Amino acid sequence: MNTEVELHPSTELLNQFVQGELVTGKSVVVSAHMELCTSCSAKAKELQDLAVSSWVDPGNTLEFDQSSEADYSEMVAGIVKSPQMKSEPIKDLVEVEIEVLNRSIKLPKVLAKAVSQGLKWKKVVGGISEAQLFLDNETLCEFIYMAPGCRVPVHTHLGSESTLVLDGSFEDELGEYNASDFIIRDSQHNHQPRSKEGCLCFAVLDSPLKFTEGFARLMNPVNRYKFKKATARVA
Amino acid sequence: MYRNYAKQEGFNKEVGLTVRLVSMDSSPPSLDAEDTVISDEALLIAIGNNQDIDAFNQLFKRFSKKIFALGMKLTRNEQLANDLIQEALLNVWQKAPLYDLDKGSGKGWIFTLSRNRCFDMLRKQKRQPNCIRADDIWPLESGAEPTLVHEDKGGQEVELSLIEGYFDKLSDPQRAVVEQIYLKDRTHEEAAAYLQIPLGTLKSRLRLGVAKLRNLIGVDQ
Repeated sequence: MNTEVELHPSTELLNQFVQGELVTGKSVVVSAHMELCTSCSAKAKELQDLAVSSWVDPGNTLEFDQSSEADYSEMVAGIVKSPQMKSEPIKDLVEVEIEVLNRSIKLPKVLAKAVSQGLKWKKVVGGISEAQLFLDNETLCEFIYMAPGCRVPVHTHLGSESTLVLDGSFEDELGEYNASDFIIRDSQHNHQPRSKEGCLCFAVLDSPLKFTEGFARLMNPVNRYKFKKATARVA
Repeated sequence: MYRNYAKQEGFNKEVGLTVRLVSMDSSPPSLDAEDTVISDEALLIAIGNNQDIDAFNQLFKRFSKKIFALGMKLTRNEQLANDLIQEALLNVWQKAPLYDLDKGSGKGWIFTLSRNRCFDMLRKQKRQPNCIRADDIWPLESGAEPTLVHEDKGGQEVELSLIEGYFDKLSDPQRAVVEQIYLKDRTHEEAAAYLQIPLGTLKSRLRLGVAKLRNLIGVDQ
């Protein structure tokens, strides 16, 4: 079915993830997928082991070396005066379920933590609702709920969009996507997602999307404004 | 106590050869000379169990440059990379008692702490919302989900439809507790927090609820 598309993060993306190189929004969507996908989480573990080996490899000349042999004895003396932890810090327990139109959907823990700030659902075009999360100032992160039978206007992306399906399914020109699938779309794709049974997704955009057909194009300035507003917000 | 004991076991088994080098000897061997001998893991355990400052000094020497390089790569800022040495190694000191061999190699553990502290530092510096921390994105226990102990597939066959009926016969508070623990697989602590009841209450309700189920199913008769 999905012969043309990979429904998991690429090795390159996973590698950037384990090395801590991704912006928060993207780190969160990859982490959420990994919680649902044992093969990606195993692969990430291998990639991290590789990253660690090369990190400590003495043969690997460091890209950045300390300019001088600084004296850290004072720093060490300060550190060893700090108390040690006797047990893992207790994490805030968060509600892991989300209510969407009378359905209760279990969220990956990292998303559950992120939504503890509260979600405001907004209806957008035909049967689609969105709720934004503010995770960083470079991406637009939102939950997208597509009611059964709804279609998103045909659009493309100026940058890239990473989408994680959390419940239900949707399809576009390239295939059908189900819970835990991870989809990347960029400017090469012109697509029209639609959902027969309804679908809850979490999407991270690194630039606004662009509608390419019909009156929906009138929304483009709004999309750009929305993106700018989302990413300009600071803590 | 138990934790320390368990740690000691693993310690002896996997890093046993180095024990004498990090023990609280009155005349410690020249630590620099032994630099290549003592494993990262043994140093971490000595720091965690005995607050061993020499061991910490060694780890510091071994990793501070690596951490600085990681910080430079991720932040491109020398000041931040220097701060990261402090943040990351402070975290290593603080969390050393929590390190155990099941969590993987010492260098992997130190890498994880360093990367996470760097991520949080950068977020703070960019003034991003603090609803998420690195430890939420890279949970420490990832991949090592505890296996369920009460899963018993080879056991006696009991009519499932009957059990469902028995479940309904529990009182509401008992059913809520049994559901949390056995159907939703929450821990006692999570369930108590979810149901907003004291842990002791949860445990007693669970005990009574399970006893009643057992009675209804007829296991004890």
